[in-house]
Amino acid sequence: MSSGFLDRESTIAPPGYNRFLFPPAALAVHLCIGQAYAFSTFNLPLTKLLGITHSAPSDWKLTDIGWTFSIAIVFLGLSAAVFGSWVERVGPRKSMFTSALCFGGGFIVSAVGIHFHAIWLLYLGYGVLGGCGLGIGYISPVSTLIKWFPDRPGMATGMAIMGFGGGALIAAPLSILLMDHFKSPTSTGVLESFVTMGVIYFMFMMIGVLVARVPAADWRPAGWIESAHRKPLVTNANVAVDMAWRTPQFWLLWGVLCMNVTAGIGVLGQASPMIQEIFSGKVTPSAAAGFVGLLSLFNMGGRIVWASASDYLGRRYTYMVFFLLGIALYSLVPWFGHLGSRALFVAAFAVILSMYGGGFATIPAYLRDVFGTMNVGAIHGRLLTAWSVAGVLGPVLVNYIRQFQIDHGVPKAQAYSITMYIMCALLLVGFLCNFAMRPVNEKYHYRGREPASTPAK
Amino acid sequence: MKVRFIVLWAAVLIPLAWGVMKTLQNALKLFN
Repeated sequence: MSSGFLDRESTIAPPGYNRFLFPPAALAVHLCIGQAYAFSTFNLPLTKLLGITHSAPSDWKLTDIGWTFSIAIVFLGLSAAVFGSWVERVGPRKSMFTSALCFGGGFIVSAVGIHFHAIWLLYLGYGVLGGCGLGIGYISPVSTLIKWFPDRPGMATGMAIMGFGGGALIAAPLSILLMDHFKSPTSTGVLESFVTMGVIYFMFMMIGVLVARVPAADWRPAGWIESAHRKPLVTNANVAVDMAWRTPQFWLLWGVLCMNVTAGIGVLGQASPMIQEIFSGKVTPSAAAGFVGLLSLFNMGGRIVWASASDYLGRRYTYMVFFLLGIALYSLVPWFGHLGSRALFVAAFAVILSMYGGGFATIPAYLRDVFGTMNVGAIHGRLLTAWSVAGVLGPVLVNYIRQFQIDHGVPKAQAYSITMYIMCALLLVGFLCNFAMRPVNEKYHYRGREPASTPAK
Repeated sequence: MKVRFIVLWAAVLIPLAWGVMKTLQNALKLFN
C-alpha cells in the first residue's frame, strides 16, 4: 500500500542522509511554539480593544486575559500526555503538521474572538487549540532526535528545546513590531497581529514538516560503536509507555521535573516586580525589563549548555548539580538583596534560570537512559503533566506568599525571603527524588520487537 | 545537500539571532 506525504513511511531517510538536517526542522517548530512565553506582550493591548487608548468599562480585565496563558499551558501538558503515543506512531512529519494547524489556527480563532469581543473564543483558540499545538509540537521531534543522535542525545534534544526558550526572544519584539505597524485610531492592532502571526508561524512550522526525516531502524552514526560499559541507570532495554508510568522511576522523574520547573517558573513570572521591590528606587521598570530579557537568554542558553554537558556528566549528576547549586543560590539571594548587590543578585538568578531551562532540555535524554528509545516520545509527553502542575504551583507560591507577607506588615523588599527558602525546600524534594533513582526492574522491560522501518524510495 | 544544510540552518538561526540581539539591547538597560 502506498503511503501519503505525511506518513511515517514516507519520511524514512535514505542512506547517506545528513542527520544535522533534522535539528533545524525541530528548531523551526520549537522557535514558533516558544511564542507562548511572550504571550504577556498582548495582555495590556487586549484590555483596550474597545477603548483603544484606555480600558473601557466593558473591556476585558487583565485577570480574565491571564487565564488564556494558563489554559494553554494546561492543554500543553494534557495534549502531550494524551497524544504522545500517537505522535510516536505517526512520526514527526504528521505530528508537526498537526501542531502547525493547531497553533496557527489557534491564532486565527483568537482573532475571530477579538473581532466579536468574545473571550471564550480567545480561550478556545489560543488556550485550547493553541495549547494542543504547543503540546504536540513540543514532543514531535524529541524521540526522532534521540534516534538520530544516540551518541549525543542530550545535545540533540537540548538544541530543539533551546528553540522553545528562544521562541519568546523572537516573539516579544515581533509582537510589538506588528502591533505598532497595525495600530490605528480605531484598532489596537492586536487582531491584525494575531492573524499575521498565525500565518507566519504556520508557514515557518511547515519548514519542519517538509524537512523532517526519521532514521531507518538499523541506522547508526558512521563509526559509532555503542559502549559496552554503560553508565549507571543507562539501559539498552525498552519500557513501553503503558508500563513506564507504573514504575517508581517515572514518578521520581515526574517529581524531579515538577520541582525544578516550580522553582524557576514562579521567579520568571515575577522577575520584573521582584527586582524593583528588592532594590527599591535603584532599578527602573525599563531596567527590570532588561533583567527579564537577561533571564530569558540564560533560560535559552542553559537548555543547550546543560543538556550537552549531561552527555558527559551523566543525567543523574547533572540534576544533582541543578538541585544543590539551586539550593545554595536560592538561600544566598536574600543575603545578596540585603547587601544591595545587584550584580550578585542578577548573576544568581541567571544561573538559576539556566538550570530551569537545562532541566527541561535534559529530561528527554534522562528518559531515554532509563526507559530506552522505543517509546521515549510518548513517555516524555506523559511526564510533561509535571509542567502543567508546576505552571500553576510556581506562580501561586511566589505571588501568594509575597502577598501574605506584605499583608502582615513585612516590607516589600524583604517579602521574597521566605519564598526563596520555600524554593530551597522544593529543590530538596527534587534532589531526593533524583537521589532515589535506580534502574527500572527487568519485569517492566518490553519483550517484543521494535517496529522495523525501511528507507523511503 | 550542502546548500540545503546552509539554507535550513540560516532560516532558523537568523530569526533567533535577531531575537537575541533585541533582547540583549533591552538587557543592557539593566547596567546603564
